[in-house]
Amino acid sequence: MENEEKKGREHPLSIIINEAVKIFTELGFEIATGPELEDIWHNFDALNIPKDHPAREMQDTFYIKGEKGKVLRTHTSNVQIRYMEDLVKSGGNPPFAIIAPGKCFRNEATDATHEMQFYQIEGLMIGEDIDMAHLKGVLSYFYKKMLGEEIELRFRPSFFPFTEPSIEFDLKFNGKWLEMGGAGMVHPNVLKNCGIDSLKYQGFAFGPGLERLMVIKYGMPDIRPAYQGDLRFNQF
Amino acid sequence: MKISYNWLQNYFEEKLPDPEKLSEGIIFHSFEVESLGKIGDDIVFDVKVLPDRAHDCLSHWGIAKEISAIFNLKLKEKKYKDFKTASTNLNIKIESEKCLRYMGRVVKDVKIDKSPVWLKNRLETIGQKSINNIVDAANFVMFDIGQPIHCFDLDKLESEEIIIRNGKSEERITTLDKKEINLDESILVIADKRDILAIAGIKGGMKAEVDNNTKNIIIEVANFDAISTRKASKKIGILTDAVKRYENEISPELCTQTMDKITNLILDIAGGNAEEIVDIYPKKLKQNIVFVSVEYINKRLGTYFLKEEIESVWEKLGFEYEEENGEFKILVPLLRMDIIGQHDLVEDVIKILGYERIEGKLPKIEWVPKINEKFYNISVARNKLLNDGYSEVMTYSFRNEGKVEVLASASDKNFLRTNLSDGLKESLKLNQLNAPLLEMKEIKIFEIGTIFNKNGEEIHVAYNEKKEIKEISLEEFCKDINSDFKLETKNYESKSAFKPWSVYPFISRDVAVWMPEGENGDKLKQILIENGTDLLIKEPYLFDSFTKDRKTSYAFRLVFQSFERTLKAEEVEEIMVKISNNISKNSSWQIR
Repeated sequence: MENEEKKGREHPLSIIINEAVKIFTELGFEIATGPELEDIWHNFDALNIPKDHPAREMQDTFYIKGEKGKVLRTHTSNVQIRYMEDLVKSGGNPPFAIIAPGKCFRNEATDATHEMQFYQIEGLMIGEDIDMAHLKGVLSYFYKKMLGEEIELRFRPSFFPFTEPSIEFDLKFNGKWLEMGGAGMVHPNVLKNCGIDSLKYQGFAFGPGLERLMVIKYGMPDIRPAYQGDLRFNQF
Repeated sequence: MKISYNWLQNYFEEKLPDPEKLSEGIIFHSFEVESLGKIGDDIVFDVKVLPDRAHDCLSHWGIAKEISAIFNLKLKEKKYKDFKTASTNLNIKIESEKCLRYMGRVVKDVKIDKSPVWLKNRLETIGQKSINNIVDAANFVMFDIGQPIHCFDLDKLESEEIIIRNGKSEERITTLDKKEINLDESILVIADKRDILAIAGIKGGMKAEVDNNTKNIIIEVANFDAISTRKASKKIGILTDAVKRYENEISPELCTQTMDKITNLILDIAGGNAEEIVDIYPKKLKQNIVFVSVEYINKRLGTYFLKEEIESVWEKLGFEYEEENGEFKILVPLLRMDIIGQHDLVEDVIKILGYERIEGKLPKIEWVPKINEKFYNISVARNKLLNDGYSEVMTYSFRNEGKVEVLASASDKNFLRTNLSDGLKESLKLNQLNAPLLEMKEIKIFEIGTIFNKNGEEIHVAYNEKKEIKEISLEEFCKDINSDFKLETKNYESKSAFKPWSVYPFISRDVAVWMPEGENGDKLKQILIENGTDLLIKEPYLFDSFTKDRKTSYAFRLVFQSFERTLKAEEVEEIMVKISNNISKNSSWQIR
């Protein structure tokens, strides 16, 4: 007689998020959250994204009708700003390390690798001597736990207004190099915007997408079934 | 940007590394190379220049400078031929702050002709059409140095006067490609006394077009404000190669050498007599000086670079610098407008020395992380529901109706959801139809997610009780959870790969058989598997069994589906007949 499965099946993205959170928590990161409907200050201005930056244009960002200055967050980087503002307001100071998994939105056509809603996991660690080698160490540790000890990590030059230097990182997984996401050293302007002394403190931030990690880990051909409410998707 | 290998070679005495190696160098030290293709006897790279370097690298010279630094190859010194200049009557008036510099030069008695073969080749290799020697020369120098150039037919102007001013709302211009454009105050224009000659930095007009009868020209080498050029370009819907350069804020200093180069080239291929340059440059760019120490660079990167290594980077990049006790005073080149503070120089160092020089290490920080209540509650709610047999789904945040609307969307759904129930209902319906595939007696699902109302966003929990959907806030849901419910840390160790499913409909059939008490269903299951063919997409699923009058009934569900087509009922019937025949061979069994 076969047993009827008693427990329900978790969504694969939740599994990825929980696994990620567990790994980062073990490294001393605190979980942080922020709103999905965000103001322009936290989504753009405070992140050193100037008013006329192409990233702010309509084709990428969902602006809200009748609510000037509100957007659906385009990344989880808003959580960086909210966390640091709150820290400073409550009289706190670095060091700290946060991890923020969350839903983000981009106004772009949907295909097998792009969705209008997607999950990012934001990481931010600030201290007196948190450097780029730490960024490499943390990312390497995380992806080894996630995908296996045999993966390799490499950095390439990139650009984001909120990090300097900015990098794109790739993973070698099953013999192939795959683009995973962006990261870098937090731009001093971002720290200043939150009221943190940018001469005393420094640190890194990263924000890779989680659907990408999910499809790589599980060998999925398409991300679209993730949001169709189809239980055939819950295979793990 | 399209970059030609042969064109780049012109910048170096030494032979360049082969294209593959060159491309790799660019990727790991500068920019992504999206493709690499052979055109004629040349190789064309598609280089994705990063936004912070688009002001000085959207050109062959820009990329050549990067290559020079990456591969430590010396750039050839460019020498221009001397030529005599005559005095000029050209008058230039800047009436708007959006024009940062305007250089004009008249060249008389040019001969319009086809371009020489080398010039045609260069342009065609990077996908540009050859028009005539003057237009091609201007285009070539833009793709070579990165500074847009425009040439006007001097004799078509009302007088030898050029005015750079804001447009007026009743004004119109017919562009070179014969589009009628309405202008306004926000659009900067180049005009003569009467008419508009060009939309500044965007597109030339018909009035002063250089054509086959042109004899005397004005060369424009100018600099316009980046933001207003981009806005004007968006407004009138014209995006040109010139706009792509201006909108990235190129340095007004670039004008000088551009004027030298274009004049030389025009005199060379079209002849003529050049007059003196008229140069209006109201606010000369000041050189930026940045101090940075070896210690600061290593502190941010987590590296152990020596002073000499860092010095070698400044040398390779052609920076002028002074050094005292490990601190550098860098005279930032006027074209490198992205370097503002010491943090910007860190990136130049690591890009040239190579990111592979950073060795990963784990940080240790002294602090005590707090529990995030929201995330904790979500985890508790999720695990409670999972334990109660509910499976988790995620549905779209966008719906056809709601209280919060987005301004524009790539999809047809413009509203944010006000509840989870509507999405969950659809999910329930879908999964109920798929129940035979899912091997579930009853579909139990839930979603935890954000909903959006007029007064803000809130996290809700929704789940079904039979056909009914229950939805409450996360907070309320967690209040009702028994306090002895403990959140266990789970270990996920699944290494199995995802199995895609067929998009074609499935057909399910049930088979129930009586057999003597004590016999198990394994033999029956085996018969079902052996006769089910490839179309049987899952193991037969035992959904019912009971014993009565010393006989046991086993009921299996069979699910048939193809990955290639919609199944016909007849072909499944055929399989079912075969299965029945095989079951009937067991005399002690009875099909129910």
